[in-house]
Amino acid sequence: MSDQALTYLDANSVAAEGPAWLDVRRKAARASFADAGFPHRRVEAWRYTDLSRLVAKTDWHPAVPHDGAVLVPEGRSNPFAGIASHKLVFVNGFFRQDLSELDDLPAGVEILPLEAALERGTKFESAFDANGPEAMAPIAALNTACARDGAVIRLSEGIQLEQPVQLIHYTPDGGATVAHTRNVIELAAGASMTLLEAQIGWGGAYLVDRVTNLNLGERASLTHVRLEDEDIDAVHLSTVLGDVGADASYIANTLAIGGRAGRLQSALHFAGEGAHAESNTAYLLRETQHLDSTIVVDHAVPGCTSGALAKGVLDDEATGVFQGKVIVAPHAQKSDAKQMSNALLLSRDAAMNAKPELEIYADDVQCAHGSTIGELDGDALFYLRSRGIEEQTARQMLISAFLGDVLEQISHEVARDALSERASQWFEADSEGEV
Amino acid sequence: MVATRETVEAVDEAVGKYKYGFSTDIESEKAPKGLNEDTVRFISAKKNEPEWMLEWRLDAFRRWQTMEEPDWAKVNYPKIDYQDAYYYSAPKSDDDRPKSLDEVDPKLLETYEKLGIPLVEQMALAGVAVDAVFDSVSVATTFKERLAEAGVIFCSFSEAVQDHPELVRQYLGTVVPVTDNYFATLNSAVFSDGSFVFVPKGVRCPMELSTYFRINEADTGQFERTLIIVEDGAYVSYLEGCTAPMRDEHQLHAAVVELVCLEDAEIKYSTVQNWYPGDEDGKGGIYNFVTKRGDCRGDNSKISWTQVETGSAVTWKYPSCVLRGDNSVGEFYSIAISNNLQQVDSGTKMIHLGKNTSSRIISKGISAGRSSSTYRGLVSVHKKAEDARNFTQCDSLLIGDRCSAHTVPYIESKNPSAVLEHEATTSKLSEDQLFYCRQRGLDEEEAVALLVNGFCRDVLQQLPMEFAVEAQKLVGISLEGSVG
Repeated sequence: MSDQALTYLDANSVAAEGPAWLDVRRKAARASFADAGFPHRRVEAWRYTDLSRLVAKTDWHPAVPHDGAVLVPEGRSNPFAGIASHKLVFVNGFFRQDLSELDDLPAGVEILPLEAALERGTKFESAFDANGPEAMAPIAALNTACARDGAVIRLSEGIQLEQPVQLIHYTPDGGATVAHTRNVIELAAGASMTLLEAQIGWGGAYLVDRVTNLNLGERASLTHVRLEDEDIDAVHLSTVLGDVGADASYIANTLAIGGRAGRLQSALHFAGEGAHAESNTAYLLRETQHLDSTIVVDHAVPGCTSGALAKGVLDDEATGVFQGKVIVAPHAQKSDAKQMSNALLLSRDAAMNAKPELEIYADDVQCAHGSTIGELDGDALFYLRSRGIEEQTARQMLISAFLGDVLEQISHEVARDALSERASQWFEADSEGEV
Repeated sequence: MVATRETVEAVDEAVGKYKYGFSTDIESEKAPKGLNEDTVRFISAKKNEPEWMLEWRLDAFRRWQTMEEPDWAKVNYPKIDYQDAYYYSAPKSDDDRPKSLDEVDPKLLETYEKLGIPLVEQMALAGVAVDAVFDSVSVATTFKERLAEAGVIFCSFSEAVQDHPELVRQYLGTVVPVTDNYFATLNSAVFSDGSFVFVPKGVRCPMELSTYFRINEADTGQFERTLIIVEDGAYVSYLEGCTAPMRDEHQLHAAVVELVCLEDAEIKYSTVQNWYPGDEDGKGGIYNFVTKRGDCRGDNSKISWTQVETGSAVTWKYPSCVLRGDNSVGEFYSIAISNNLQQVDSGTKMIHLGKNTSSRIISKGISAGRSSSTYRGLVSVHKKAEDARNFTQCDSLLIGDRCSAHTVPYIESKNPSAVLEHEATTSKLSEDQLFYCRQRGLDEEEAVALLVNGFCRDVLQQLPMEFAVEAQKLVGISLEGSVG
């Protein structure tokens, strides 16, 4: 039993006021989190990110709705704004009907806030039962106990959603506030869509915890593009718990630049043969920022392919973490898994920790992982300098190329350009700082 | 191809049985069963140790009692009852130590002969000095004179405590502190014997040093303590080989090896470990919990670990290098073969503290049968380790669909000028290559031995010649019965 967890839950968990199926789960989750507590460095999966310490000594309390206009600071606007989409907007974790665009949804498409879905009597029992692997279970429990709202996206069989769906979170207010949100995304057999997610905050010290339960039926396909740009004083947790069906595909590409400390974690489980899943992350950190990118891929059935790529650029005193784990179950033959973590340390005080794990119980598999940590290639820099390119520009060119492996892979053209643009802005802020 | 043929012959020779499974009936002097302060005092008194040594042991024992057995390794074994084992046993002839091989108990010599390592022959042929450790006490030490001429001290640990207490006191526990881990602390309290090597300034040890460890008495945990000190500009190559007779009861082995490498010095430490792995159903077999660590204390020093691990039911072993001196080099070459129900959790730690330090890790894991093999390693670059360099490659080969292979690398860098690379692959034995060999007339087992030897080539090449041949044979023997 953890006092820290109890105090936190007392202030922030949701009272039993929902439907019975949910109340039972909230109660169980509350008990389980109270027991486990916030993960700390002696918990193996959290050895590099001590969440317990990160949230300690703060009197956390729930965020309140932010009514009225949301004034996004310059340069921090929604990168996907120009893309015609169905759109869900949350501010401080609360749904804002007036900012969202959910009219004219095609038949077989359900996009609405979780609260509204619950009011309609929809049950999400299996989603709320999925706690992911041990590394993520405490966060899933915390979220179940505390989440009030979130996004629900459901596509019926065979629906090919033309317009992407935007899921935008703004956090304009801080002051030790917390927002827990829960997303449920279900694509029935043969359905496909693109999800553009942006998490933008400028409210100062706050904590956000987002858990997304993903369920892809046979041959379903989800393309997930994500920008994580929280306030430099914020702590953020993003968890994706995914079940990927036979011949289905899940492709996620994330750019992470915000937050004082954050953890992006995904647990992808193959439920049917021939499935493909990949999760790629590019992150740019400075000052004392900390980002932990953790992915667990469970090849529970034969014949699936997976990939995980993390590309990190660490300046000042920033720390990066990559933890990857590929599990190949007995008899999951013909599995093909790749994992790679590359980190560039731009400063004397930056640090990187990588732990790419393989756990293999079948013999006919191709599993490879790799990790590199180093600084910018001096020869490449010299070459560019000798061609008359300024040092700052040369560095930026090399770093852009380094990040390209993640950002260039984004299949949605406009989204790709938007995120690449965000990455370049990061350099500009950097060079301004150095003048 | 000679080596290959030998591998094949070796496989044939050992059909269905652990080749070295026998035990010698020699009356031994045991400490009473169980572990308490009296046991520690008994061992210390038996060895006629000075007061400071006893205090050191007792201090370790008291700390051990407050520690908990680690459970993070990916191995499973029934809980060990530390009170249900003997902590000391010595062959009877201890009181009356032999001066030369002729005086050694003929039964002991016979044992060695069965193991295929005739001491006399080895002395003549290989020029290897052998400090044979039988159960816990050294009974035969050879080539001492030649080594003494060069100024090299090579003796059993107990002798070193008597004859060179100042050296032992200065270096013991400085690489692996008493409190390092559960098994190392246990060893510090009850270690029975081991080897001691001291190579003075500027001396290149004139021959390769070798110790054969054997566990003979049933239920006797062996607690070896090895300390190797190589002074400025000196060099030594140390070989350690192990075979243990077959027993049904699990046997506990918790050794500690400490290497101290001063300026411009080099230590090459090679191990072939072939203890009884238990039978096909996992019955019996040695528990091997070893702490091995080298300290590159001086600038330009180098420590190289090479290991071929084919035996033991459970292996828990992470030979490490602390790269303290500038320009120091650490190397780790490993082959870990597991078959039947063996479990191996092994790897290395490379701690980069000095400038321009470099390390290289080549690990080859081969799992067959229902065994499990884990590579667990740490590469850590500290803030002041400018221009540190690491290359790690760990490959796993799976034979059969009931075994498992795991890789758990930790890579931590706090210095931007450091370049760290890690790559790992897991694959099965190539059907095409197997088919090719079969089509050329090799039977399946020969083909597997050939291919696996190829897979391990990078590591086998690092072994001293006489070990390389033995190791190649072992690769074949260990995988026997894994295909078809």
